[in-house]
Amino acid sequence: MPEPIARRALLQAGVALPFAAWTGVVLAQSRERLVVRIERDIQNLDPAERPGAVEGNVIRALCRNLVAFRRGSFEIENDAARTIRQTDPTTIDFALEPGLVFPGDFGRLTAEDVKFSYERFQLPGPTGRKPAYAEDWAALDHVEVTGELTGRLILKRPSAGLWKNALADVSGAIQSRLAAAKPGRNADIGLVGAGPYVLAEWLPNRRLVLRRNPEFRGEAPAFEEIVLRPVADPTTAILGFEAGELQLTRIEANDRHALAEAKAGKLIDLPSINFVWLGINMAKPPLDDPRVRRAIRLGIDVDEVITAAYDGTVERARAVLAPGMLGYWPDAPAPARDPAAARALLAEAGRTSLRATLTLLDKPAYRNAAEVIQARLGEIGIALDLLPLDDASYWSSGAGASGQALELFLGRFGGKADPGFITQWFLPSQIGSWNWQRWNSPDYAELYARADREGDVEKRAALYVEMQRLMDQSGAFVPLTHETNIYLAAGQLDPAILPNGDDLQYPDFRLG
Amino acid sequence: MRLGVVASRLAATLAVLVAAMALLFALTLAIPGDPAAAMLGPRATPEATASITRQMGLDQPVPIRLWRFAGLLATGDFGTDIVSGRPIRDMVFEVLPFTLALAGTAIGLALALGFPAGIHAATHPGRISDRLLALVSVAFVAVPNFVVAIGLLLVFSLRLRWLPVQGAGETDDLLDQVRHLALPALAIGLGWIGYIARLVRASLLEVLGQPYIRTARAFGIGGFRLTWKLALRNAAIPTLAALGVGFGRLLGGAVFAEIIFARPGLGTLIFQAIRARNYPVVQAGVFVTVLLFVATNLVVDALFLWLDPRLRAEAERL
Repeated sequence: MPEPIARRALLQAGVALPFAAWTGVVLAQSRERLVVRIERDIQNLDPAERPGAVEGNVIRALCRNLVAFRRGSFEIENDAARTIRQTDPTTIDFALEPGLVFPGDFGRLTAEDVKFSYERFQLPGPTGRKPAYAEDWAALDHVEVTGELTGRLILKRPSAGLWKNALADVSGAIQSRLAAAKPGRNADIGLVGAGPYVLAEWLPNRRLVLRRNPEFRGEAPAFEEIVLRPVADPTTAILGFEAGELQLTRIEANDRHALAEAKAGKLIDLPSINFVWLGINMAKPPLDDPRVRRAIRLGIDVDEVITAAYDGTVERARAVLAPGMLGYWPDAPAPARDPAAARALLAEAGRTSLRATLTLLDKPAYRNAAEVIQARLGEIGIALDLLPLDDASYWSSGAGASGQALELFLGRFGGKADPGFITQWFLPSQIGSWNWQRWNSPDYAELYARADREGDVEKRAALYVEMQRLMDQSGAFVPLTHETNIYLAAGQLDPAILPNGDDLQYPDFRLG
Repeated sequence: MRLGVVASRLAATLAVLVAAMALLFALTLAIPGDPAAAMLGPRATPEATASITRQMGLDQPVPIRLWRFAGLLATGDFGTDIVSGRPIRDMVFEVLPFTLALAGTAIGLALALGFPAGIHAATHPGRISDRLLALVSVAFVAVPNFVVAIGLLLVFSLRLRWLPVQGAGETDDLLDQVRHLALPALAIGLGWIGYIARLVRASLLEVLGQPYIRTARAFGIGGFRLTWKLALRNAAIPTLAALGVGFGRLLGGAVFAEIIFARPGLGTLIFQAIRARNYPVVQAGVFVTVLLFVATNLVVDALFLWLDPRLRAEAERL
């Protein structure tokens, strides 16, 4: 006699079967169409004026570069260039692959398109100001066209960072000059490139659709269509993912554990290369006293701070450059908390107690970090007032008069492939702009300039280590973490994400 | 209806509009944060900052800025967005229908469900149904909208899979748009259903106690005619007044529904523009919102005059 089917088992099967069928439908559909969350709608697809990574990722899918990053890596490989070689410190010769065409009857991709795409970064835009990303091509003097498919980049000065900050990155996107010159074309959204995708549809604030470019010369991308859907709220994104309306979304660190337990989708953890630190305005008394700054550093338990802020999902940072980056300093000091030594330093400085304001971006992770810092510094006699600010207020707080009044702050800069990008913000020239520490180090500036010109990789790395040593000696920086990027991906989706975590390589997304 | 009545209402409307925009202008003077830093981040060089400041007219004296601001609003030309290069008018009017649909549907739900509930409660006072309706109405009003929104999502989208989580639906598919509208409209309209039900009950009970109603009953008029034709016309006036104000609050409250349900809309546009200190977009969005609000109240005022001849006569006398 067969065992009767238990009611519970029947109910479970009744729930599981439709879910399994639904999942199968989702996976079967996903070769044709992939829906990806973006945190806001696109605003401007001009590579020279792009507002952020959302636009950058689309540009990367629409265009080719002379060289591009390998899948999921900051290693470079040829893309539109059949050959490309730096013949001397200020000359880069290139020859394009033959047969590359732009969609929509805009002809072949030629050296003239390369010239147009790169030189425009130095030209004033319609508003009369230089483009936002002009600095990426600051070293470029001009592009010399030597043939239909050949040319030469002539630099004003050597620039080791040019390859990764410009050529391989979004600023190196090659667009059609004929399309750009077409009357009536919207310069901000009408980008035409020879990349694996074309912009098939854009419904503002609703979706942007990338469709496979039938004229693309190269390995076709896995997905026929990628739909980018703006979803601002992280919780809505997770709900949308669980409902099957999204197949890829980034999530916050403090959602990770809940989602891991729920076994919803596949979690992808990517250590980032951003830099989060506690900064000290060393021009403002009493923080101009190095003993006070050292006391602050010794008064904080960095591991405790990042555990509170990121729920144990990140590693401690030792210096500005993250592991794996050129110039990473593995031996950077990582002092443990020592409240007795901190109090002694404050006493030596004649400050048994003091009060300061900690300015921070008003996000959960930073609020949690700030509260732990506030509690620990309170134990050594430093009373902190927390000042959480929204984005616009926060990013203005280091400039002008407010920058002079700034005391302590939680800083967070995004990293890019080349170490020159993130280290530039601490130059003396950035005081009053982005060097909120107001750290004035001519030695640092000299090392930075040398590193940017240095062609030898090992020597360059040594220079960046030396720069970080100077930062450490200043006492104005307490490195906290390089953060992490966590993505929730459906089923067999294998997204291609560059090591900084923000840059997605849509054409390199795969299944399985 | 005399032209003078219309003219006086229009003048009052214009005064409200001017006052609201003056307040907005004053707020933009006081708000901290630099637009260039918000828009460009680390790429906000001093040159870029100066350029954006110039483009937004922030380097001009306040009276000139106010004059330019008033001129833009009066002509309806809100200028060009600095970030996207698109006409701001286009940005506002392409999202406006979504907000109107959301607020309109929420109001429609409130009327469609709140009115009958209130009428039933008023015509059956003290009964079990009246008490139940009271409990439910107060619960609807008391529960915060965002809690309702998340609850609806969990039940109808995740558990039952009846309705979508996010988006506004396909442009050429009305049914799909309705499916995408259901939960957000219910989320912001649920409180209003309860509020309208209580309001209608209270005002209808008061009217049903009036001498003319007792007289009508004495003459044998009852049921549908008594309630709907004689009593409700007067009882509806306070409810209409509440709806007029409520529509404005719904327009403002729609922003949270637009964010939670990832819908395009005026609320989201203004919210994101505020975060980016994109003042021209904020000003355009708020101007359109205020315009809608005063236009709605103008319509409500006209309805009052139509419903109540006493108000009409008083207005004409003035």
